[in-house]
Amino acid sequence: MTQVNLLQLSKAYSSADTYAVHNLTLEIASGQITALLGPSGCGKTTTLKMIAGLLRPTQGDITFDGQSVLGIPAERRGAVMVFQNYLLFPYMSVGENVGFGLKMRGVDQQTIRRKVAEILDLVKLSGFEDRRPKQLSGGQQQRVALARALIVEPKVLLLDEPLSNLDAHLRDEMRELILNIQRQLRITTIFVTHDQEEAVVLADKIALMFDGELQQFDRPNAFYKRPISVRAARFFGGVNFVDGVKRGERVETPLGIFHVNRQEIPDGPVVITIRPENLKLGEEGENAIQGRIRSHVYLGTHARFKVEAGQWHLEVVAEASSVEQFHDGEILSLKFPRENIWLVPTEK
Amino acid sequence: MIALWRERLRIPLMLSPALAVILVLFMSGLVLGMMQSVGYLPIIGRYEVTLDAYRKIFSREDFYRSLSLTVWIGFASTVLSTILAIICAMTLRQTFRGKRWVTFIFQLNIPIPHIVGAIGILFLFSQSGFLARLAYVAHIINEPSDFPALIYDRYAIGIILEYLWKTTCFTGVIVLAVLQSIGEDYEDLARTLGASRWQSFRYVVLPLIMPGILSSSILVFAFTFGAFEIPYLLGQRYPSALPVLAFRNYTDVDLNARPDAMAMSVFIAVVITVLIFIYMKITRTYLRE
Repeated sequence: MTQVNLLQLSKAYSSADTYAVHNLTLEIASGQITALLGPSGCGKTTTLKMIAGLLRPTQGDITFDGQSVLGIPAERRGAVMVFQNYLLFPYMSVGENVGFGLKMRGVDQQTIRRKVAEILDLVKLSGFEDRRPKQLSGGQQQRVALARALIVEPKVLLLDEPLSNLDAHLRDEMRELILNIQRQLRITTIFVTHDQEEAVVLADKIALMFDGELQQFDRPNAFYKRPISVRAARFFGGVNFVDGVKRGERVETPLGIFHVNRQEIPDGPVVITIRPENLKLGEEGENAIQGRIRSHVYLGTHARFKVEAGQWHLEVVAEASSVEQFHDGEILSLKFPRENIWLVPTEK
Repeated sequence: MIALWRERLRIPLMLSPALAVILVLFMSGLVLGMMQSVGYLPIIGRYEVTLDAYRKIFSREDFYRSLSLTVWIGFASTVLSTILAIICAMTLRQTFRGKRWVTFIFQLNIPIPHIVGAIGILFLFSQSGFLARLAYVAHIINEPSDFPALIYDRYAIGIILEYLWKTTCFTGVIVLAVLQSIGEDYEDLARTLGASRWQSFRYVVLPLIMPGILSSSILVFAFTFGAFEIPYLLGQRYPSALPVLAFRNYTDVDLNARPDAMAMSVFIAVVITVLIFIYMKITRTYLRE
């Protein structure tokens, strides 16, 4: 188990003021799964490659258990990477692929064969040693790639978009496998993804990155309950934002005055966010406003309503049965429960 | 029915101008050569079909000497140019200042004819050439003639140098294209798995580029095996490369030597055809995988 620290890590490309990663500081607890989440080009794969030793940071430091690893080349760093497209060596059998890392370390053939069999058993591919990569399905290739990384007993396991090439059924299977293996081996695991759902289901903590900078580093549920910005909230499916001015525990907005619980954000211009599932359609009382239903979609287990309130368009997720109760064009009250309102700074 | 035939004939008809050139110029030349190689030479009153010319060349010592020299030239040129090409391609794959220009210069001699290269080699490496004079002026040698014989020499060094100059960039461009299509992820992966730079080249890069190396090497060997002008310009008189020996037999005043020349040419053509089939087999297998 290894604790990984990124200390004010930066990577500049070509010109010194173009940063792929800028001033990134993260403390990745040992034995946990951490997701680097963000849109394409936000610097998450660059960060992964810097941890692996494949890219040299322009500034900052990377430590494993408090020791800087910047001077240690990739082959001796102990951070093994599993690439998105698996990259199985096409001219080797599954057994040779899995045993590759041990062969490079000069381990004898008998030990390699034994360990390959053990690790293939762990990823549920016993007996696949002699197959060629092209004879495997996508899910099986992914498991071989994982086995090839695990066999060298890495200090840190780095996964690049581990589920993105798999279909829905295989994703669930692979997610279970990764979580099971991680629980058994307790390897500090860092993975990169652009898919917030993938991050939420796999990670103990998520580092959300935009434009090479860390936005928020927190447990998955915090991104739903306490996003740090409008952008972070939007990335996690937030759609309801109302501008206002905070004065103590009141927020004055064009829709009316909202009473909120005490929050650390300073008084002044803010944005109210509330998740669609937390808005209460047809309920009166504190923080209730008037709105008109513009449209709705029935989704079997629930229904999604679009409500117009002043110049704002809000989305509400309600029980499936509510489609019989509320109708398009109807004017009704919409409640913002105080405990579900979260304030974020206005966007620059 | 007519539409079906029209569709079937469309592609052969469109290819017919090119096919006509190949059939008339090359195939007819080959057929004529094969006929003469089996002794059919009406111009000197020989009409019988016989394999005497083949039997004769396979019993001639100069044929085997020429064949050995030709294989040596092809083998040395191919191996050395492939090694150089891999080094150049691996270097050109890196990111560095001026890469675009260096890559352009590296590819520049692909369209330059061999004859220009031959003149360059003569100018540079002959005993009256630039390097010999430079060594003499620098008092490294006492006379320009003390400069080692690199042209018209028994090891065909001048010929090999010319082929290196020409084919290194050819193979290099192919290897570079293969390297670029593979990307660097495989090497990165190998390194995180514990492979040193040399191990990642030996166990990962080399096997991945091997189909490209093999196919380009076969083409280079086939070319050097059948090429005439460079061994003729830069090679010693005896033994000469096989195509030169065939040419000398062909231009012999004694027309009875012509079947021997044609038998040698057919032999060269057969070797090259076999090599081309191997090349196609490798390419197809590579593309399929």
